[in-house]
Amino acid sequence: MMLDKVLYRSVTVFDLMVVAIILIIAIVITKALSLYLRRFLKEKVNRGHLEIFVKITSYSIFIVALLIILPLIGVKLSGLLVAGGIAGLAIGFASQSVIGNLISGLFLMIERPIAIGNVVNIDGTVGIVEDIRIISTTLRTFDGPFMRVPNQKIFTANITNYAQNVARRFEYVIGIRYSDDADKAIEIIKKLIEEHPLTLISPAPMVFVDSLGDNSVNIIARIWAPATEWFGVKTELLWKIKQALEKEGIEIPFPQHVVWFGDKKRAPRFEVPESGKNSSGETL
Amino acid sequence: MFGQYDIPIRIEQEGITVSVQKEGENVFYMRECLGESTEKILVAGSGKLLLNPVEPVNKPKALASHLLIEFEKTMQVEPKGTMNIFLTFPVEIAVFMPSNEEFEVIDAFTLARQKFTLYGDPINGVICKYWKSRIYTAEPSLNRIQEGIVGLTITNTTTGWVEVTKAVFNAYGMKIFYDDEKLSIKANMKLKVGGSAETECMNEPLVEGMTKSLEMYTVRKLSVTKKNFIMESGL
Repeated sequence: MMLDKVLYRSVTVFDLMVVAIILIIAIVITKALSLYLRRFLKEKVNRGHLEIFVKITSYSIFIVALLIILPLIGVKLSGLLVAGGIAGLAIGFASQSVIGNLISGLFLMIERPIAIGNVVNIDGTVGIVEDIRIISTTLRTFDGPFMRVPNQKIFTANITNYAQNVARRFEYVIGIRYSDDADKAIEIIKKLIEEHPLTLISPAPMVFVDSLGDNSVNIIARIWAPATEWFGVKTELLWKIKQALEKEGIEIPFPQHVVWFGDKKRAPRFEVPESGKNSSGETL
Repeated sequence: MFGQYDIPIRIEQEGITVSVQKEGENVFYMRECLGESTEKILVAGSGKLLLNPVEPVNKPKALASHLLIEFEKTMQVEPKGTMNIFLTFPVEIAVFMPSNEEFEVIDAFTLARQKFTLYGDPINGVICKYWKSRIYTAEPSLNRIQEGIVGLTITNTTTGWVEVTKAVFNAYGMKIFYDDEKLSIKANMKLKVGGSAETECMNEPLVEGMTKSLEMYTVRKLSVTKKNFIMESGL
């Protein structure tokens, strides 16, 4: 029989057919389960977590399929265990960074400090998380390029996630002249903040005189905006505040020094006699 | 202003101008409202246009899916008591273009003040569209282009007095009804033990004979599983 033909060791054509069938079944199950999970959990789980869950499920199915396939193609799992000790040592050294990234990737998926679509700052690199894979994470920086960051680096890095919270606060320091009315300036700034549709009513904005600086009275404005909108609001509102203050005659001063000339501290003056000679008779 | 119109049409009301004119096979849409204008060329059209009040969470940006109505004065509700009050809500108007038994949203505008707020804390809270309202004990007479009426039934299920200063509604559950005089939402608010409350909008008009408005989320084919809202971060 053709199916009983031994190809190598005890592996027959039939075994290879079974392997192929198992592989096909694994692929079909993975595809079907991924599709089902995406549909079923679409409204219940956010997109980032859903993709991670689907990936973990897919990898698990493939690992199970692999464990079934290996004995069929002549690889004995018991033998693997023995050889695994030596091979594991060698592989361990060789793939130290890969394993490190993989473990870090798993911990990132469990801890979830970032999610797909979040705007994050990872050790000074700011970008949008495009994908979280098992070994690495892809960021799209704001100037366009994609950046692949190994998961081990992310796991040990300082991460600032700008999208974790629904609202975010930003701050301006606005210096006005000492001769200007600070109360009036505060009123103008508060009115502008209130008129802007995207600044939040609650938490309430705070506007107050923070310090009496060398050159100006410094007013601080602390404003909350939706996390997705804060940057646009910040860039838009500052110029409006500057224009509104100037319109009311309140100016933002330049650094300046006031120099006083006290009468008693003037430099001594030397009297020159009319003859052009001093008291000792020398010509000046 | 609300209802279905045949194209070409030009509507001018209270500073709002909506104009839809045919230019050859295309349709030229223009709208002006409070100094903001939009112009669009629609390649195909059914020859009809629908103007409808919609959930007031789309302008200036669709950032929120909840509406927070803050009461001008604090309310105290007696133990096991029920109160019927009327509030106001901001009106947003959407322009729909019917096509093959479906509706496409082509524009939205409002005359009402647009402002957002945070209900809860920045970590677990929700961004809400904000509106401040007087509390009325009888149906107020309002300009239906700007403000609608919320008929709110507040039920205190606790054994103590409860102070209420605001109500948060899930916009996906809002059912807006209109007639020639007013625009309305009917809602319930159940005050619960522990300082929380559950709000829900009813699928029924304030008075019989009102027309149900088209909902934005059904037009956009969004599948919505939750239509009520649990207020757990303060009343």
